[in-house]
Amino acid sequence: MKKVWKKSALAALTLGLAATVLAACGDKEEAGNAEEFKGKITIWDGPRWPDADDNKFHWLEEKIKEYEEANDGIEVDLVQVPWAEMGDKLGVAIAGKAWPDIAPVDISGSAVSIDHIEQGVIEALDPYFDKDAKKDFYENALDAYTYDGKLYGIPNSITLHTMLLNLDLFEEAGVEPPKDGKWTYDEFLSAAEKLTFDRDGDGKTDVHGFSTYILPGYYEAWPFFYKNGGSPLNEDLTEFTFDSPEVVKAIQDLADLKLKHKVAPETHGGNDVGGTFQAWANEEQRTVAMQPWATWAIGAAQGKYPTNFMVAEYPSGDKDASTIGGVGGWVMMHQDDVNKKAAVADFMKFISTAEEQYNMAQHYGIFPARVSASEMDPFKDNPEMTRAMEMSDQVVMLPRHPEWRKIDEAIQNELQLVFNGEKTAEQAMADAKKAVDKILE
Amino acid sequence: MKAGYASRTPASLLGGGNMTQMPMGAVPKKKDEKLKVIGKAKGNPRKLFYEMKRNYSAYLFLLPKLILFTLFVAIPVVWAFVLSFQKYKIFGSEFVGFENYIKVFESDAFRIALKNTLLFTVVTVPFGVISALVLSTLIFELGKLSQSLFRSAFYLPTVTSMVIIAMVWRWMYNYDFGLFNYVLGWFGVGPVNWLGQSNTALWALIIMQCLIPFGVGIIMYLASMGSISQSLYEAARMDGASRFKQWIHITIPLLKPTTLYLVLLSTIGSFQVFTQIIMMTGGGPGSATETLVHLIYKTGFRDFEFGLAGAQSVVLFVIILIFSVIQFRVLRHDE
Amino acid sequence: MKKKPLDRLNKLIIFGLLTVFAVVSLLPLYWVFSTSLQLSSYQSQDMERPVSYVDSNPPKMYPMGIPLYFKHWGEAREAAKAGDTEEEAYHRDMMDHIVSNSFGSFKNLFKKHDVGKWFFNSIYIAVVVTIGILLIDSMAGYVLAKKKFPGRNLIFWIIISTMMIPGQVTLVPLFIMVGNLGLMDTHWALILPDLSMVFGVFLMRQFMYSIPDELLEAARMDGASEWRTFWTVVLPLARPGLAALGIFTFMNVWNSFLWPIIVLNTAELYTLPVGLKTLQDANLASFKLLMSGAAVAAIPMIIVFILFQRYFVKGLTLGGVKE
Repeated sequence: MKKVWKKSALAALTLGLAATVLAACGDKEEAGNAEEFKGKITIWDGPRWPDADDNKFHWLEEKIKEYEEANDGIEVDLVQVPWAEMGDKLGVAIAGKAWPDIAPVDISGSAVSIDHIEQGVIEALDPYFDKDAKKDFYENALDAYTYDGKLYGIPNSITLHTMLLNLDLFEEAGVEPPKDGKWTYDEFLSAAEKLTFDRDGDGKTDVHGFSTYILPGYYEAWPFFYKNGGSPLNEDLTEFTFDSPEVVKAIQDLADLKLKHKVAPETHGGNDVGGTFQAWANEEQRTVAMQPWATWAIGAAQGKYPTNFMVAEYPSGDKDASTIGGVGGWVMMHQDDVNKKAAVADFMKFISTAEEQYNMAQHYGIFPARVSASEMDPFKDNPEMTRAMEMSDQVVMLPRHPEWRKIDEAIQNELQLVFNGEKTAEQAMADAKKAVDKILE
Repeated sequence: MKAGYASRTPASLLGGGNMTQMPMGAVPKKKDEKLKVIGKAKGNPRKLFYEMKRNYSAYLFLLPKLILFTLFVAIPVVWAFVLSFQKYKIFGSEFVGFENYIKVFESDAFRIALKNTLLFTVVTVPFGVISALVLSTLIFELGKLSQSLFRSAFYLPTVTSMVIIAMVWRWMYNYDFGLFNYVLGWFGVGPVNWLGQSNTALWALIIMQCLIPFGVGIIMYLASMGSISQSLYEAARMDGASRFKQWIHITIPLLKPTTLYLVLLSTIGSFQVFTQIIMMTGGGPGSATETLVHLIYKTGFRDFEFGLAGAQSVVLFVIILIFSVIQFRVLRHDE
Repeated sequence: MKKKPLDRLNKLIIFGLLTVFAVVSLLPLYWVFSTSLQLSSYQSQDMERPVSYVDSNPPKMYPMGIPLYFKHWGEAREAAKAGDTEEEAYHRDMMDHIVSNSFGSFKNLFKKHDVGKWFFNSIYIAVVVTIGILLIDSMAGYVLAKKKFPGRNLIFWIIISTMMIPGQVTLVPLFIMVGNLGLMDTHWALILPDLSMVFGVFLMRQFMYSIPDELLEAARMDGASEWRTFWTVVLPLARPGLAALGIFTFMNVWNSFLWPIIVLNTAELYTLPVGLKTLQDANLASFKLLMSGAAVAAIPMIIVFILFQRYFVKGLTLGGVKE
């Protein structure tokens, strides 16, 4: 992962530099003294990988114990929150002024948005991260946590979306999987057609080539919409651009997998996330040959749902293949006591070292956000994760707009109607434009 | 009662409808006498103080409820109205006048949610009440043992959490292996993507609501039927009225207070429909199954626009109030 | 005088009709239990790949483990008779597999998920609220019905008038209030607002009216304190009303959903309905597992209902219209 992401690294670097200089001048007195703080730090986390007793919080629990032993008088309280609820719960907690000190979210708007930063809910970490400390992180990982020149979190992982192909079904249908996981949309379509078959001859399709779902906050389907170029909003976030002809065509193509080509099940484009995953991964089902998922699913298919599968890129259209990525990490919520703030930052650093990121990458199906952690080569025995990591230079990020949550919902609601065949992609995106323009005003 | 509405709503306890009771029950029986005592006391501060002191134990008995009520009911009610005129910010809110209300009435989302909720109500409430009436009439014809057997059978789904019911129904509506599409298959129809299409999703929820028996209605109709004097039927039979005529001319009119109560109760419940939505469709596809309470929940706890959510809920309250008053009038008048 | 009874045939028709309706209305509940015990993986010797009866089409209307268990049991016996120990061992193994697979999701639920904790939380909260409501509301209902003191009617009317306001109206302010009191993500955030429900005051007041004043007067003559009178005379007489209120409170708290999903964050503090929603939302739960969770949540209410049925009826008719 030498060259991370296409987005202008130089710009980010410059910004980062500027931020550091500013931080060095202004924030010295705000840094506080961690050693003077005695008390409780609250951290939220979701289940990660299990230990022998199936405890999915063991990693952080062990780190906490270690930290408490080394730092007298500090107690770290772990609150276990399921990932599916994390965004909603944190949003609610913020609104109720009952936030934790540390939360495992990004600032892209699903749980914490720029609006929160502007309201002062998220603490800037610049006083605790000088230029040297930042150097080990990939620029774009830092960029994902930078707003208005300040750093609002520590990135600890990078994820992206990939296509997962069930190789048993490929073999059963006599289809050759794409070489190196690269393919064009036409190749993808013809594979999907062959992978749709009636196994027992009862006149009903038993296996479908492809399926995914459409739901606010989920972007598995979205890289398909980018295949001919285009993005939801224009560069300066003032205009809705998903109604451009190339995007409309891409959307219609994906919906037509079900509507026209019949290579996707009726539930394609529905809102049942769990059901969709079960259809691909559950050995009692396995009724769909190809699905796009975030990288956590690679871990699941290697662990809890052992599947003979491979990782492939999203098919390319008029433009090269691309995928949607995200950066995970820790943010610090508003603090009244500077010394506590320093202590919290210290603990955040403690759980974000290169060793910890390497550890997490190996077990948890994510890529490290630190260069030095990647250099330890966490995936040397894991070709699927390696292939996924190679895709990281295709990553495009979602627009970072304070109202992204609402924009997203407006778009996805319309997308659902396209996949139901109730609207054409063109109509739906025209309607989405109306709704989104109102929000952008 | 349909289980699973917002639990802490007082309304949800018995489905929310004890309004009918209020005019009857709330007035103390020996009204005049009491008013006199208090009236006298009011005129004289010292006497009032004396009365209060003499009855201090009564206040002590009331104290726990009063404290809880003030903190968790009274203040929030007042606050809800205040909030609806504010823009909520985490560190200090600001007053914005009627802006939130204007947004409510201008937004398509609210209009769609209102339309969906109304459709849901207009179909499920009459269906629920009429089917309860018919079922309890049938049950009433049977012997004691069968009566209590069927009463239980029809009430049992009511004590089950709506969360559970919604989970099963989601499965029954499943496109690939759901019961509904299987049964439709017998008639060579379908399969239908019940919850996945805009034109069927809301109806799927309505059908589901109709097929959950209105247990409270059945129990209350049975109780009311039991208290109708048999001599009325006897007299009607002497006049040669058929059973059906007796039902139309004696049973139904005499059950009217119960009917009114049940209609109010289920209307209020129906306006608050939420659990099915969040468990089964999330308001989609598009906004085909968006309802008022789900919209309020979303506005408040996903978009965190507390002021707007406050205004939406005040409007919901007014709508429920208007409906209740209309129903009360209509069902009362033609006696 | 009795209504002229229907003849047998008509009764039979009505009975049949009602049975059909009852079956339809109980079907979803049956489906929960049937699916929770459904065989999710089965492969006999003549089958190419294992089948799951959970999501088979057409749907299986009863747990397939039952007939298959007996099938293997019969074949094992025959094999034993024929002296074919290998064949017998195979069928015994299949029987074991069927049993462990059928009940497997329940085991899974308690071992791998927090269902045990959620179950305990739900019970604990429902019991605490029920006991609290019974005490607090009967105290309030008693004085509102039986005592004359300044402000009584005013207090009563204020309390009762809030019964008309739907809970959603106070959702947001209540949430802010709970946050300000520092109760977010604690069980107090559920218990305290539940204890403030006003319906019980109304119900208990109605009930207390029927207690004869003479009895209270007699207790006072004996020199009993207010509290003693309440505890030894009033409460025992109010028992049927308390039973009805208790049951409805328990049911409501047990089934409550909207408020708990808002105020609870920590997975181990969840109540069962909230936990079930998380299970459904998490991508990794099979339908059999979900239905097992649903069954666990449904069973206590069904037991309460069967045990206290007559109080349900009583509570409904007491709170409702009296002719």
